[in-house]
Amino acid sequence: MLEIRNIHKTFGGNQVLKGVNIKVEKGDVVVILGPSGSGKTTLLRCINFLERADEGSLDFDEIHTELKNASRRTVNKIRKKTAFVFQNYNLFQNKTALQNVMEGLTVARKVPREEAEVIAKEALDKVGLADRYGYYPSQLSGGQQQRVGIARAVAVRPEVILFDEPTSALDPELIGEVLCVMKELAREGVTMVVVTHEMSFAHDVANRVVFMEGGVVVEEGTPRQIFQSPREERTSQFLHRINRDYDYSI
Amino acid sequence: MRPFHPLFILEIIPELVTYLPVTLGMVLGTVLFGGMWGFFLALAKVRRRPVTKALAEIYTYVTRCVPSVVMLFVVFYGLPELLLSVGINMNGVDNGFFVIVTFSILYAANISEVFRSAYLAIDKGQREAAVSVGLTEAQAFLRIVLPQSIVVAIPNFTNSLINLMKEGALAYTIGLIDIVGQGNRIIGRYQGSYTLEVYLALAALYWIMTIMIQKFFGAVEKKLSRGKKELTTAA
Ligand SMILES: Nc1ncnc2c1ncn2[C@@H]1O[C@H](COP(=O)(O)OP(=O)(O)OP(=O)(O)O)[C@@H](O)[C@H]1O
Ligand SMILES: [Mg+2]
Repeated sequence: MLEIRNIHKTFGGNQVLKGVNIKVEKGDVVVILGPSGSGKTTLLRCINFLERADEGSLDFDEIHTELKNASRRTVNKIRKKTAFVFQNYNLFQNKTALQNVMEGLTVARKVPREEAEVIAKEALDKVGLADRYGYYPSQLSGGQQQRVGIARAVAVRPEVILFDEPTSALDPELIGEVLCVMKELAREGVTMVVVTHEMSFAHDVANRVVFMEGGVVVEEGTPRQIFQSPREERTSQFLHRINRDYDYSI
Repeated sequence: MRPFHPLFILEIIPELVTYLPVTLGMVLGTVLFGGMWGFFLALAKVRRRPVTKALAEIYTYVTRCVPSVVMLFVVFYGLPELLLSVGINMNGVDNGFFVIVTFSILYAANISEVFRSAYLAIDKGQREAAVSVGLTEAQAFLRIVLPQSIVVAIPNFTNSLINLMKEGALAYTIGLIDIVGQGNRIIGRYQGSYTLEVYLALAALYWIMTIMIQKFFGAVEKKLSRGKKELTTAA
């Protein structure tokens, strides 16, 4: 369904992505792990052109394009097939929860207002915010804001949702509610690419885990392969480090 | 010299007020033309086109270093010369025109900074979120960024407006008859006997206008601040 080949990206003199390949099939839950600065965010941002890659190509269903010189139209097409959930939510501050979710429907997809409202309410109900339609982002908790962010992504029925550390800006007691919503989406068969440090989510929900370091994919496989018998030394070191930090934090 | 005559202040205010449209027209014209010009300057400053960006910054820097009264005379004497060289005769053109041109040149520089900082005050993540759900860049700007930037800009815009109005009092130096110009004519009519009274009357008028502008935009800001922290309007 979605395949990215040989993606390169340099910021100034800093080579952040050095030839990454990623393939996502319909219904996949791909979790991307990796230490800070390994290029995970940059990779996701290049997929929907929030960042322009220097090299590489993208195939998305019938669309084939070079990332570097994709036309404005192609970019918009791909953006309509994808949705993004941001680390710090990025809700529209001047709009209510309901309006946040409706925006992509009424404005980008020209869905009639009444119909869009029904879809948006459904999406908010699904993330457990049926009683918060009229609230502005500033009146919601972090966990609630992120759930609006997820509803906003789900409502446009994208073929794949890209999550960039959706829980890492949240207080520990709010992480659960967001992960719960994501698990539910996975169960429904929504295709997702998730960057996260939540090992339990990777372990329980992913059908594929990709480990990145230094701008390359070091290793990928099923959660079982990666967590129980990693082939690469760097992968097991990373997992040890994460687990140790995790133990300390308890 | 005559004694101070406070009642004279009240007596001449109605006469001064009849020239208020000139003062306000000058401010409005400047906000309109200077505002549009300032918008383009701000656009050039936030875009990543190095040449236009540099030009806009140089323009802002240079015009900000020129006192308004100097600019007023430069335009008043310079613009007709300039236009004459391309065959346009400016004889008989209203002084108000030169005033609006002068203050638009200066105001654009100030207001472009107001626009620029208001634009930058809105986290770029919201723009990214908008395009990520399929909005075009233009839609993201018009529907998400601009409405919030306007709210952010209101206090600085209000200040720029008040400053402009006060600077505008210099327009009489090239012969514009606004409230200050008329005040000077009244002073002349009484051979300078009521100078202090006239200026006090003008001060009172400027004071009232400033308060009205502040109150008005304060109310507008409050009305537009949907979703801001201090408001709890949700159902
Ligand atoms: N817009 C940018 N300009 C310059 N450098 C950038 C930019 N965005 C990212 N980088 C650099 O690219 C590198 C990779 O960043 P990226 O955010 O992709 O890492 P990450 O794997 O998501 O890390 P984290 O786990 O901390 O979120 C970092 O060294 C970062 O400083
Ligand atoms: Mg990141």
